[in-house]
Amino acid sequence: MQLDTAKMLAKIKNTQWALADIDWDAPGAELVTGDPELYAKLKVFMADLMWIEHVGARAFAAMAKKAPDDTLAEIYRYFHAEEQRHANVEMALMKRWGMLEGDADNPILPEPNINLRLVIDWLDTYSDEMPIEVLGSVIPSLEIALDGALCKFLLDTVQDPVCHAAFEKINEDEARHLGVGFHMLEVMGHGKLHQLLVKAAGNLLNPKLIIGIAAYLPLLNRMRDNLVKLGLKEERLYEAMNKYKRIGGRTEQGRRNPWFQIISHQSAMVVDRKSFYHVPVDALVRLTDFYPRRLLKATPTWVKGLTWKTAA
Amino acid sequence: MTQYLDKAPDAGRRSRKAADPSAVKVVEVVIVGAGFAGLGSAIQLRKAGITDIAIVERGTEVGGTWRDNQYPGAACDIPSNLYSFSFAQNPAWSRGYSGSREILGYIKGLARDHDLLPLIRFEHNVEALDFDGGEGVWTVTLTGREPIKARSVVMAQGPLSNAGFPNIRGIESFTGKKIHSARWDHSYDFTGKRVAVIGTGASAVQIIPELVKVADKVKVFQRTPGWVLPRLDFQSPEWAKTLFAKLPVSQTAVREAMYWIHESMALGMIWNTPMTRALEMLGNRFREAQVKDAWLRRQLTPDFKIGCKRVLMTNDYYPALQKPNCELISWPIANLSEKGIRSVEGIEHQVDCIVFATGFEVSKNGTPFPVHGLGGRDLNAEWAGGAQAYKSVQVSGYPNLYFTFGPNSGPGHNSALVYMESQIAYIVRSIGKRAAANLKYIDVRADAQKAFNVDIQKRLAKTNWNSGCKSWYLSADGFNSTMFPGFATQFARQMANFRERDYRMV
Repeated sequence: MQLDTAKMLAKIKNTQWALADIDWDAPGAELVTGDPELYAKLKVFMADLMWIEHVGARAFAAMAKKAPDDTLAEIYRYFHAEEQRHANVEMALMKRWGMLEGDADNPILPEPNINLRLVIDWLDTYSDEMPIEVLGSVIPSLEIALDGALCKFLLDTVQDPVCHAAFEKINEDEARHLGVGFHMLEVMGHGKLHQLLVKAAGNLLNPKLIIGIAAYLPLLNRMRDNLVKLGLKEERLYEAMNKYKRIGGRTEQGRRNPWFQIISHQSAMVVDRKSFYHVPVDALVRLTDFYPRRLLKATPTWVKGLTWKTAA
Repeated sequence: MTQYLDKAPDAGRRSRKAADPSAVKVVEVVIVGAGFAGLGSAIQLRKAGITDIAIVERGTEVGGTWRDNQYPGAACDIPSNLYSFSFAQNPAWSRGYSGSREILGYIKGLARDHDLLPLIRFEHNVEALDFDGGEGVWTVTLTGREPIKARSVVMAQGPLSNAGFPNIRGIESFTGKKIHSARWDHSYDFTGKRVAVIGTGASAVQIIPELVKVADKVKVFQRTPGWVLPRLDFQSPEWAKTLFAKLPVSQTAVREAMYWIHESMALGMIWNTPMTRALEMLGNRFREAQVKDAWLRRQLTPDFKIGCKRVLMTNDYYPALQKPNCELISWPIANLSEKGIRSVEGIEHQVDCIVFATGFEVSKNGTPFPVHGLGGRDLNAEWAGGAQAYKSVQVSGYPNLYFTFGPNSGPGHNSALVYMESQIAYIVRSIGKRAAANLKYIDVRADAQKAFNVDIQKRLAKTNWNSGCKSWYLSADGFNSTMFPGFATQFARQMANFRERDYRMV
């Protein structure tokens, strides 16, 4: 899949939207607030979703510094901001549904779960140092698996028309993010195979990356557990993960990217509930519950940039 | 200030009556612009005995860039002892780096002390220049006035003289106050206002600390963070002023020392050397010392080599950004709306006023007005692919026409006035030669100009400016027609050598 990045950038610039474009006071909120069971489930779900968008935003910020050319750097600069916009929209939906704690004008941000906190910590410390091959291959997987599946679940579950209007816009952005993501996945499959393999093996030995993997894998399993608790069929998540393998593996370049292969195999193990993979990873999920909070770094200030307000 | 106002009606009637073109008085030299370059040229031409000079100035005051750039905090980022003419030193500079008002005062002093005001025709806006090869005369067409004929023309209109609002989506829809840094509206009171500043270049880093002092809220919209180095500013002690006044040679010595310190900077700023890394390390340490928050520091960290764009010299910018009423926004701008700026993170930043510190329209691919040379050739068309000249001052096919700060004369590490003095000396020499030999014109040979440009572009390819960042030094397609790839000393040597064989003398 060859992508004309200059055209893509122009398209991104031409299709910008703002929170103010959505009528947050339109009727329909009662479809959520009037259903106590749905409300309680959604409250947890929305907080996770918002944090995942926000984590994705930080990964795009790292990509903007590593992009191979100015056009892609600018695209990632936009994507970083767009993911922040999505998180802002999700926070605004929570505000609409009365899910934010604190007083009305200064609500308190919902706390991210421990696995998200660990990923935020890792991203803040190491993401700018990670090789482009790793970030560029993980981002489409994160987008398609978590973001894609979560959004689908939300729209299947919630009937509020404002939520649907907002996600129509978000999904248009996400389609472009995926388009560029898979383009990068293929770009990184160019070159001599043995060189790609040696480079990937070298990166895999990087302790900083190992810590990142140790933070990321339990997050995936935790999200799966949370989703199941909320009533999402596991298959939905697995369908989304298979999509990564299907789209990323369409071209030879995509398949030659060792990171695509690693992530695809890891996805296959995630999907297979009988795989041994889940023994250590589920153990890690339980272990992280005991992770001492005092070892976490202070919340980075980029986390505090989220807002539900249309105007500042 | 006394101003020479043109006696246009009389002059106009006289020239209209003159049916025979040869009867119209031909001025020896017309200088376009009464800023540093224009006034400096006039002073040196007069010293060389060329006194028949007319300076045409579109404004109503002298000063050029320094007359226009009077925004709060405006100052020069080169020490004043070096950012002044060597032949007109000022012992009374109040600070190491003087503000724009003091620099403007110095320029007005130049005009007054050298009795230049009678030469200046204010409110004379040049619309076109046309050369008559048969007569060897330039016609200077003016807006709403009779044209002036001249043997030679010195273009001293300045590369940073045209400022305009940038082409941002929805700019017309914003109903609040819009101010361009180079056209400051002193009547607007920022006290208690919500202000957005677009741009974080040389002007912005001077404006922001001043706005933060009075405005209710300042939001700074950044696209690309620049390298910031500390500025060693200080108030000039009285004893130094007295010493400089009584013993000018002491000021010359200080000036020389500053000159060589700046020259040494070229090693790190122009070329990629270990000193580049040392300067970058200084920039990084300075940022770490001044900016406490890691994320803000990341937002302010440049991703290009130091010197690739203009280095920002300021001690006040980083602290201002961290004041409670200031916020740095590095999200891209989506568009301007009725009430403010919508950035891509989806939020509308509502403000009372937007300050555009977005720079100037530098003429990289053209001239500010049509210039027609021998046989009606059009300089704009010739420069469409990138401006080229011979030693920055002359262009083949455009005889007796001289540029100050023409193509490839820009300094990145030293005082612009040092470069300007070399250019002026060259121009005076060339004009003097023509007059002394009573030549019709002096024109650079096309092959000499071509050889010069091949060499200069080869040298530019090795510089930090051409190392990959986007800057106003480069045209949209990456051609560098602005900067001189070398030391000021090399530029001076280039300009000191007048090679007659490179010219056609007619």
